Amino acid sequence: MDSQTILMIAEGIRDSLYMTIVSTLVGYLIGLPWGIVLAVCDREGIKPNAAVYRVLDVITNIMRSIPFLILLILVIPITRAIVGKSYGSTATIVPLVISAAPFIARMVESSLKEVDHGVIEAAESMGAGTMQIIWHVLLTEARVSLISGATITTATVLGYSAMAGVIGGGGLGDIAIRYGYYRYQANILWTTVVLLILLVQIFQAAGTWISAKADKRRV
Amino acid sequence: MYNVGQVHRKMYLLFLCVNGRAVRKNQPRRKRHTGTGRGKEHMPIIEVKNLSKTFETKEGKVEALKDINLAVEQGDIFGIIGMSGAGKSTLVRCLNYLEVPTQGTVTVEGQELGNLSGKELRDLRSSIGMIFQSFNLLMQRNVLDNVCFPLQIHGIQKADAVKRARELLVTVGLSNKEKAYPAQLSGGQRQRVAIARALACNPKILLCDEATSALDPQTTQSILDLLRKINKETGITIIIITHQMSVVREICRHVAIVENGRIVEEGLVEDIFTHPKSRAARQLIIEGKDPDEWEKEQEEIKQERAAGVIPILHENRRIRIVFSSNSSFEPVVANMILKFGEPVNILRADTKDVNGTARGEMILGLPGDASIQEKMIGYLEERGLAVEDITDSLSSYEKEEQ
Repeated sequence: MDSQTILMIAEGIRDSLYMTIVSTLVGYLIGLPWGIVLAVCDREGIKPNAAVYRVLDVITNIMRSIPFLILLILVIPITRAIVGKSYGSTATIVPLVISAAPFIARMVESSLKEVDHGVIEAAESMGAGTMQIIWHVLLTEARVSLISGATITTATVLGYSAMAGVIGGGGLGDIAIRYGYYRYQANILWTTVVLLILLVQIFQAAGTWISAKADKRRV
Repeated sequence: MYNVGQVHRKMYLLFLCVNGRAVRKNQPRRKRHTGTGRGKEHMPIIEVKNLSKTFETKEGKVEALKDINLAVEQGDIFGIIGMSGAGKSTLVRCLNYLEVPTQGTVTVEGQELGNLSGKELRDLRSSIGMIFQSFNLLMQRNVLDNVCFPLQIHGIQKADAVKRARELLVTVGLSNKEKAYPAQLSGGQRQRVAIARALACNPKILLCDEATSALDPQTTQSILDLLRKINKETGITIIIITHQMSVVREICRHVAIVENGRIVEEGLVEDIFTHPKSRAARQLIIEGKDPDEWEKEQEEIKQERAAGVIPILHENRRIRIVFSSNSSFEPVVANMILKFGEPVNILRADTKDVNGTARGEMILGLPGDASIQEKMIGYLEERGLAVEDITDSLSSYEKEEQ
């Protein structure tokens, strides 16, 4: 492999990380409140609201059921409107966020629903309001599960970002498609695969380490 | 703005006191039991009127509570006892409106909870602490932060909250554990943290929902001792929900017995303990057993009877004697046996020495001779024991069952 190829792969790693991290963060900006509303408005939640839950639930399901590759193409007009072009790393962030947000919402919802109802009741008995319970009880008590969810989300978004290579998304996936698939350069194809595996491993290890650190339930 | 509110509140309280007194003049005086003797309180701290609670389930309506009336005096330790499913947990949740009653009113310190806004209700809850069977501590926060939590909710400065939390941890005997996490503590210690947390906002009332049910007998004892100490020192009103008669006997002054969503008996613990009237009270007190176990045993007796195997003791006269003021150094039963030269059968005994006084009860099977039975009863009564003949009441209860 010549130095130019190595440089290209290094840039690929940078772009993949850029897309993954920014998409996950923006995804959480949208998905976290979304998931909180789902958990809170659920029939068993702290402020049940059937109408709100039903609407958000349906939207979440619809968005989650569109395959990512199709979503990539469907949202091209939106991407153009926001970024100004439909290819490259920054443009890929738009479909990634649209895909990740409902996924994150579901992850957050299920994490928050794991919180022991007794603890919530105790907080209510002390006079805690809804926002206080969300902040001090739900998010705090569920933090281990939330961190695990974020780890899974990050790995999933990385995988999706590679998939965006098909329509010129940038990053390692783009390199794999262009050189590995169209030009039959197996060594580049395999290099990107190994790098993607390594990235997922690193994310997973970091997530596991942080959640273990954050968990005070284990003595 | 804040000051105006405060003044307003004071005036409101003043108005309540004056009004309360004025109303009282026209009412017949009732004998009241005030725990700490704080003379000014004549109004019950908690008053429940005609409360009913119905749950809508898929199988239809379930009436959890029916027409409950209850008044708890300030400083009292009030027990609410019943079997599982009797509705007592729902009842205690109605007292701080965690459950909203379907009908009726709950009045706490003169404020009717149903009339309060969400904000007012949350503020009022800071004067009602609550502890639970499963402790319900925040598992991801350490002991100190758990105790600070209610203070934080009510906007107390961090430094003040920590100071108050440390004081409370001294009260509950856990000052060396402030950095520990709940997972590192035993059940008894966790409940102590929960008690400290419940007391953080200086509540006037403490609700205990099966607070000792998950604990072993020694730990239960130490938690009850702690509750008694807190009641004595701060005059806090304590309401204890339990299915354990031993807990009520140990600590409560008043008790209400709940069965199938109704209060079937209510009064001073001594009175109910000495002369239980209701079916549920008999089950809980005389037999002193776990209700399920009791049912099972009754079934077995019935079957044995049907099979013709009648237990001999059922033919004897049974009495129940209650120790309350006897010296524990006086062997009353042994002396009686020696005096009359007749054996008695101790069917059940549950007594203990409390600072040199014998407390508790026994159920005795007396010998066949009626005149000796009478003499023995006379002897026991002379010694200051409450004697109750339960031969008939038990058999009449059994008839009722059939």
